[in-house]
Amino acid sequence: MSRSRSNRTSLIAGLIMFTPYLVLLVAFGIVPIVVAAATSFEPSIINPGGGPLNYLVALQDFRFLPALINVGIFLAIYVPAMLIVVALMSLLLDTVQGRWNLPLRLAYLVPASLTGATAVLVWYFLLEPTLSPYQDALAALGITQGTQIWTAPNLAWIFVLMAFFTGAGNWIVVQYGSLQSIPDDILEAARIDGANAVQIAWQIKLPLIRKYLVYMGILVFAAGLQVFVEPQLISASVYPGLASNWSLNQLSYTLAFQQNNLGGAAALSLMLLLVCMIAAIFVIFRTDFFDGIGVKRK
Amino acid sequence: MKRLSVAIVAVAAVTISLAGCTNAAPTVDPDAKPSLLFWVDTPRVPQAEAYQELMADEIDITIEVIAQADAQTKITLANRAGQGWPDIIFGTAADTAQFLDPSNGFAADLTDVVSQDIFDGFGEGNSDCLFDGTYYCLKNDLANGVLWYNTVIFDELGLTVPTTMDEFAATALQLEGTGYSAGAVGDQGYYSMYLQSSECPLADVTAPNVVRIAPGDPKCTRVAELVQPLLDAGVLDSRSSFDAGFIADVAKQNLVAMTLGPSWFGDFVIRPEESWGVPAGQIAAANMPSWGTGDDDRSGAWGGGVFTVSSNSLYPQLAADAAVWMTTSDVMAQLETTPTFPAYGPANKLWEARISTDPYYASNPYPAMAAGANKISQVDRPVRFAFVAQIGTVLQAAINGGASLETALNDYAVSLQNLAPASGYQIETE
Repeated sequence: MSRSRSNRTSLIAGLIMFTPYLVLLVAFGIVPIVVAAATSFEPSIINPGGGPLNYLVALQDFRFLPALINVGIFLAIYVPAMLIVVALMSLLLDTVQGRWNLPLRLAYLVPASLTGATAVLVWYFLLEPTLSPYQDALAALGITQGTQIWTAPNLAWIFVLMAFFTGAGNWIVVQYGSLQSIPDDILEAARIDGANAVQIAWQIKLPLIRKYLVYMGILVFAAGLQVFVEPQLISASVYPGLASNWSLNQLSYTLAFQQNNLGGAAALSLMLLLVCMIAAIFVIFRTDFFDGIGVKRK
Repeated sequence: MKRLSVAIVAVAAVTISLAGCTNAAPTVDPDAKPSLLFWVDTPRVPQAEAYQELMADEIDITIEVIAQADAQTKITLANRAGQGWPDIIFGTAADTAQFLDPSNGFAADLTDVVSQDIFDGFGEGNSDCLFDGTYYCLKNDLANGVLWYNTVIFDELGLTVPTTMDEFAATALQLEGTGYSAGAVGDQGYYSMYLQSSECPLADVTAPNVVRIAPGDPKCTRVAELVQPLLDAGVLDSRSSFDAGFIADVAKQNLVAMTLGPSWFGDFVIRPEESWGVPAGQIAAANMPSWGTGDDDRSGAWGGGVFTVSSNSLYPQLAADAAVWMTTSDVMAQLETTPTFPAYGPANKLWEARISTDPYYASNPYPAMAAGANKISQVDRPVRFAFVAQIGTVLQAAINGGASLETALNDYAVSLQNLAPASGYQIETE
């Protein structure tokens, strides 16, 4: 069997496997981006001429900078918290083998059954001093009124709490899966060399799942940058408007639907996409993300 | 490189095929039974169903429930799609302000499709829908302010019902040290009941696309001067009337001696067991206290919905007739489920018959509601920017956070001054 024939066979197989994804990518990824790009040049009340000026107008909106700062603070808390806690918890989970492992994995998944919308309600009740089951604990911290909780400086922390508890459990189980992929002989060798559990976790396991953590970091960053549900829903409840236009995606939504400015909304969305892509590319190429997955030829 | 060009061709092909999907303009078949689509919020469903049943032989009416807050979003999407508009939609007059702008274009001019008798029947009640001399919507219900007070507490303390805002302040100060409260101002109530009734210009449309936002106006500053001492004395609460803490600590303890509140406060805030739960036979409504004499005796409004008719309707007259029926019919006024004060005069009379004999109230609350209904200030008008949402974002947040009322108002006004130009308004600040 010639080398070229085997190459062609693998190319065809690759194409067959890639095609379903390509179709979805084009239909729900590329096409919306193209449509958004075309939309981003449309005229609006604030910029009747339309065109590339829409991008500048969106950046100059008086709500843009506060929203950027809000999301920046949110990301600065959310992404490290996710990475550290998820890495730690999955390493711990990995050390608990035997009968407790399965129930534990299940327990981590339970909070993820709360979607963003439900989490808003749950956290409202948990944090509202009058209704909370932990009102004594809140009172011990000097918090007796809802207005002490629901203020602008606290919002980033509250939204991190909501997002963290709905997302962390899933990722713990996923990273546990990546820990399972570490060959036993490596761990066995480490043990024979006298490494203790902490050393194995820190010096063997963690480096080996690093690329999965990088992958998680990219997705968590992208999701966090687009935070929308939590501030949007909290603004529609007891404290109306409390976090309106709090995040960049909310601002985009407002531009589109309250100001008849779809051009500005599309421009802002595309800029967010660009930031996500740059961040992803940076992280991927500054780490050994693709090493050993068959992309780089040895 | 070749694969890149294949991808580009594929993207272009999909884009073109999507663009080709645009529908041709639909036409009316004169023999077919007409159909209308209603978009209403949940409280409006019973009256929509009543009309659906009434017209069953002549019109196919489809009712879709939407959240009131989604009205602008959904119309914008329909505009985008070029189809799928409702024939009539329930929302706020601020939605209508948005819909009638050329950049949106959804709202139909009602001049030729609604008879003058109907407009006359509304009296002042439909003022919100009058934009630059043209009616673009019909008001469903009014939510003007009145003074809600607890007759038992007033008797106990020997208080008299205030008729002016100065008397209101004096009465409130008499509550100091008694444990009783004169209500809460940390929500939209501070705007609607205090600032708007004082005619503080915050959305004063002085010319098309020109809005005056002037927190330094004496009609604004007098509000903080009167109310701040009451907050400082603790007889007014800086929390919201809906705040769980305020409800638990004050309202549910039946400690609210009086509060300025819209006409729906009685049935929906003060009365329900899960809300303030004030027992029957104690609550009465008095006229909104006046800031001054003559023209300086206005009320504010907190809520009140409108029906807007689609300019894209295939049946413009039927759609307008439906909106008229929804806002003016006797059935609407008498339905047990019709929740709030009808804006249309004759329908309002029928509604009066129901609420005036409600044994929950210590006395008939209707005269106070009616007195305020024709005095709703028209200085601030429905505008295209998020005037009400911004109350929560800035004004309420500042008051809840303990800022002075003057600072809270200035911050709010500045945020409006920033917001208005983004919706195509020029602003005046003096």
